[in-house]
Amino acid sequence: MKRAWLNRASLTGLLLALGAAMAGCSPRYPMDTLSNGSDFARRIHGIYVFVNWIDFFIMVVVLVVMFLAMFWYSTREGEPGEPSTVTSDIRLEVLWTAIPALILVAITVPTIRTIWATQPDHWPKDALEVKVIAHQWWWEFRYPQYGIDTADEVHLQAGRMVHFSMQSADIIHSFWIPALGGKRDVVPGQINSITYTPDQLGEFYGQCVEFCGDSHANMRLRGFVQSKDDFDAWVKHQQAAPVTPESGAAARGAKIFADAPCAICHTVKGISGLSPQYTGNFKGPDLTHFGSRTTLAGSILDNTPENLAKWIQNPDAIKPGANMPTLGLQGQDLNDLVAYLESLK
Amino acid sequence: MAAQPQQLPLEHGNYLTSERGIYSWLTTVDHKRVAILYGIASLFFMLIGGLEAMAIRTQLAVPNNTFLSANTYNQMFTMHGTTMIFMVVMPLELGFFANFFIPLQIGARDVAFPRINALSFWVFLFGALFMNVGWLSLALPDAGWFGYANLTERYFSPGINIDLWNIGLLILGISTLLSGLNFFITIVNMRAPGMTFMRMPMFMWAMLVTTILILLAFPCLTVGLIFLFLDRFVGTHFYLVELGATPILWQHLFWLFGHPEVYIMALPAFGMMSEIIPVFSRKPLFGYAGMAYSMVLIGFLSYGVWGHHMFATGMGPVADSTFAITTMLIAIPTGIKIFSWCATVWGGSLRMKVAFYFGVAAVLEFTLGGLSGVMHAAVPIDLQQTDTYFVVAHFHYVLFGGMMFAILGAFYYWWPKITGRMLSEELGKLQFWLTIIGFNGTFFPMHFLGVWGMPRRIYTYAPGMGWDFWNAFETISAYLLFITFVIFGYNLIWSLLRGEKAEADPWDARTLEWAVPSPPPAYNFEAIPVVRGRDALWVDKYGVIFEGHGHRTVPAQGETSGAAVPAAGAHHEAAHGAPHMPAPSLYPLLFALALVVGGIGMMMNWIRIDALAAALLFFSIIGMAFEYPDHGEEHTHQDPPTYTGIDHRKAGMWAFLGSECVFFACLISTYMVYKPRNVGIGAEVLNIPLTSFSTFILLMSSFLMVLALAATQRGDKKWATIWLFGTAFFGLIFLGGQYYEFSTLYLDEHLAMQGSIFGQTFYTLVGTHGTHVAIGVIWLLVMAVASATGRAGKSRALSVEIAGLYWHFVDVVWILIFTLIYLMRSVHNA
Repeated sequence: MKRAWLNRASLTGLLLALGAAMAGCSPRYPMDTLSNGSDFARRIHGIYVFVNWIDFFIMVVVLVVMFLAMFWYSTREGEPGEPSTVTSDIRLEVLWTAIPALILVAITVPTIRTIWATQPDHWPKDALEVKVIAHQWWWEFRYPQYGIDTADEVHLQAGRMVHFSMQSADIIHSFWIPALGGKRDVVPGQINSITYTPDQLGEFYGQCVEFCGDSHANMRLRGFVQSKDDFDAWVKHQQAAPVTPESGAAARGAKIFADAPCAICHTVKGISGLSPQYTGNFKGPDLTHFGSRTTLAGSILDNTPENLAKWIQNPDAIKPGANMPTLGLQGQDLNDLVAYLESLK
Repeated sequence: MAAQPQQLPLEHGNYLTSERGIYSWLTTVDHKRVAILYGIASLFFMLIGGLEAMAIRTQLAVPNNTFLSANTYNQMFTMHGTTMIFMVVMPLELGFFANFFIPLQIGARDVAFPRINALSFWVFLFGALFMNVGWLSLALPDAGWFGYANLTERYFSPGINIDLWNIGLLILGISTLLSGLNFFITIVNMRAPGMTFMRMPMFMWAMLVTTILILLAFPCLTVGLIFLFLDRFVGTHFYLVELGATPILWQHLFWLFGHPEVYIMALPAFGMMSEIIPVFSRKPLFGYAGMAYSMVLIGFLSYGVWGHHMFATGMGPVADSTFAITTMLIAIPTGIKIFSWCATVWGGSLRMKVAFYFGVAAVLEFTLGGLSGVMHAAVPIDLQQTDTYFVVAHFHYVLFGGMMFAILGAFYYWWPKITGRMLSEELGKLQFWLTIIGFNGTFFPMHFLGVWGMPRRIYTYAPGMGWDFWNAFETISAYLLFITFVIFGYNLIWSLLRGEKAEADPWDARTLEWAVPSPPPAYNFEAIPVVRGRDALWVDKYGVIFEGHGHRTVPAQGETSGAAVPAAGAHHEAAHGAPHMPAPSLYPLLFALALVVGGIGMMMNWIRIDALAAALLFFSIIGMAFEYPDHGEEHTHQDPPTYTGIDHRKAGMWAFLGSECVFFACLISTYMVYKPRNVGIGAEVLNIPLTSFSTFILLMSSFLMVLALAATQRGDKKWATIWLFGTAFFGLIFLGGQYYEFSTLYLDEHLAMQGSIFGQTFYTLVGTHGTHVAIGVIWLLVMAVASATGRAGKSRALSVEIAGLYWHFVDVVWILIFTLIYLMRSVHNA
């Protein structure tokens, strides 16, 4: 009877897992894989629940058989009962070959349908095009239809299909916003793509999920799914040139930005810029509308002046191995630069 | 009522006491002593790997933890995986248990190649230490056990971390390959009379399939590592996109090895479970044939599923669907195994010993791991779950829940036979229940974390993701799990000092290892037993044969002589005193030393050290070959005939050539895949007339080889020597042609290894073949000298025949290369 509690514990555990699976989109779990934020995510969720029930059923059968056997056939020391001498049973063996085979067919059919449905060759012309360029350790998002280049935060329009085409500036990464669907590796030398239609408004967390060196854990991103109006407004805002501050701390900061090495890697439209086609690994995030972003440094810090100052002072302490050098800016200069960057709404 | 087999008097002591002293351990070739060395080394590495796991869990206990730096954390998880796979699970299963019990279960006195067995161990030990040398300055490998290119390239990983991993794995691969070859030949060739394949213990079936997988899977890893080595040290671009190559090539090569590797670890554990469960159920294994065939099927299918590790890489819907189906298929034989274990327990007379606890728990925990595996076969689910903690949960349920539980069960089951002492059942039960709690507490919540999106291999995470509680919970459980291994270690030591003395057959078991005393004598069996049925010992004890779909009774022989019924061929030997056992040798240790010195030399670019290592390597090989008057392995005409009638060395060469086929297949495939991606200088610069001549010469050399063998077989020393020299001479002409070809290509056509992907694949493939020819030439020259000086005989003919097999194989490979690379040079569609 000792093992009965284990039996119960395992069952409870499985139920818990299932419960967690069914809980769906919960604000407590920003990276929940069962959030149904897009058609793709919903299809996956459907198969997952189906397979989960099958697994649960098989696990229960095996546990029950094993535990019943333990219960009925165990002997105490010194009084061995007469064991059965059955060595095989062809009917039983055919049965437990055929039934799993049928179950697997039942899993395979929706699996393959979903594979083909979620990897289309063609997508509508008006689908949103987003070019994802993965860098060690941040995400660059380009919107060729709108001429926007931004970092770490990707804005999408609810109900409009999005086609991500991905390339890497250095090594293999993997692009993933769990609420919106499965992941896709970003592989140097090839362009991978993923297509889905997000349909739930909100802010969704994502992260790089292919090990990519020291700061793999610090390569996060956010997805914002917006209504058509909000998305259009965002596009318009991003397309506008940034306001150049006339006076005050921000104006002094603009000068520091231009004089310090910042401008070698970072673009602020109208002030500094690499070639728009450049995708090499010397590129840093485009800062033209930096102040409008909610996070910084690969979405690991909230975008506040304090965090920005900390980041500029010692990037390596926050993101080990980061390509951004420590510039040694102190006191007033640092505050001015922060003020300027935060003014780039 | 059956009789226990009698404890035979130990005239020479047992294997542990028959020889003494450090030197006897350094030079031992006794499979049981080599197994002990493996056991000690892998338990040590288990401690290291466990501490690495504790470091990982401590770092993840709370969000934004600063216990480890990012890079140190990456080193820890890389070495945890590498250590547990290559230095713990595989050596425990293969080096320790299989090594000890293959000869004992099949009724043999040792493995087929005792000195190569010792060599495997020393190479393993030095390779493992080599990789761990990074501890000295915390410069351990840090790119994951899977070492995905192009992160492992010099530009992204400049330190020696990846060099240690790269060269260390190459060294470990040599050890594993040789072990696999050795055990394969042992099982095929050294079974006792009457032990047909369908009478073998299930553990032997498992090892048979495992060793085949090793032979056919490790070459893929070797090729992948050679490319990485060239990229890092020579400046080629096998995994760099600059010249058109792709880092995905590494993933294909790695997982072509990597998925069979999963079964290289799983099948021995399945075998252990299949030994333990029937013994403690007092029932024959249910569905023996189904169990055996399902293992063969799993082994076969394991080559067709590597792509399921790569669903997220964008292989396209056709490949995704194909790999989904093959992966689903592998669940069917796995299911057969699980249900058959359940059916074995059902209706038994169960004795609730610790070994049985672990055996049953292994079935149940593995089932959970297998079921989450089915989930990952469904590609869409995998796209959410891959690279999250769900996968970490999945493979720990397989590797720890399945494999480690089986290994722990095997410790409790076989420890009495190995040491002659029983382990404490009380401590064992305490360990078992704490392990169940600690293991499930550590790994079950990882399913939740995976579903909630926690990625793998992250050294830190933010609070507020919903991951905090279960991470803390897992860390506490992991500490408990570590404590269970402390209890285990204490039990092992306690048993050695105070444990109850074990009888020959303390579990009333079914297989032949329990017919000999505990611990066994150095020669295992006084006389080679004759096997009358499946569960050979059971047949002799109880006179019941379980075969086919029922059972029949035969007269028991246990009353008189245990299982040790002398085989017909053994009478002769018994009359001449003690069994003939292989003599100790120092060369295996020297060989391993040479390899690791060479590795250090390569890593540090010390040419002189490399030269020294090469000389030492050559010396130890030649030394080993001529250690005994009748060179080669120490077989004499007194040896019992092999089961198949084929000499071990000849069979071994065939198996090795099978492995070589995969090796060249990987090289040739790489060439074919990269050919259409090449830009710049291509195959049009190849000199067809010259290589046609070389091809002709090499083919003629095979003809001379045939003449040499014929001359040796009829005892014609003079002509044998002439033809052998002739073959070697033709080989030298071929090599000269290749030298001329390479130098003109390099100097006149400016075709460099670093300059184009044609250059690197061409030089690597053709150069590797050239190296094989060079080794063959040296071999032939040594044979020719031996032939000129030694006496010709039947055994000499065998040696020439084996060298000939190798030589003909190298020729056949050349025909393939000549056709595909030279003659079809203008065909551009791969």
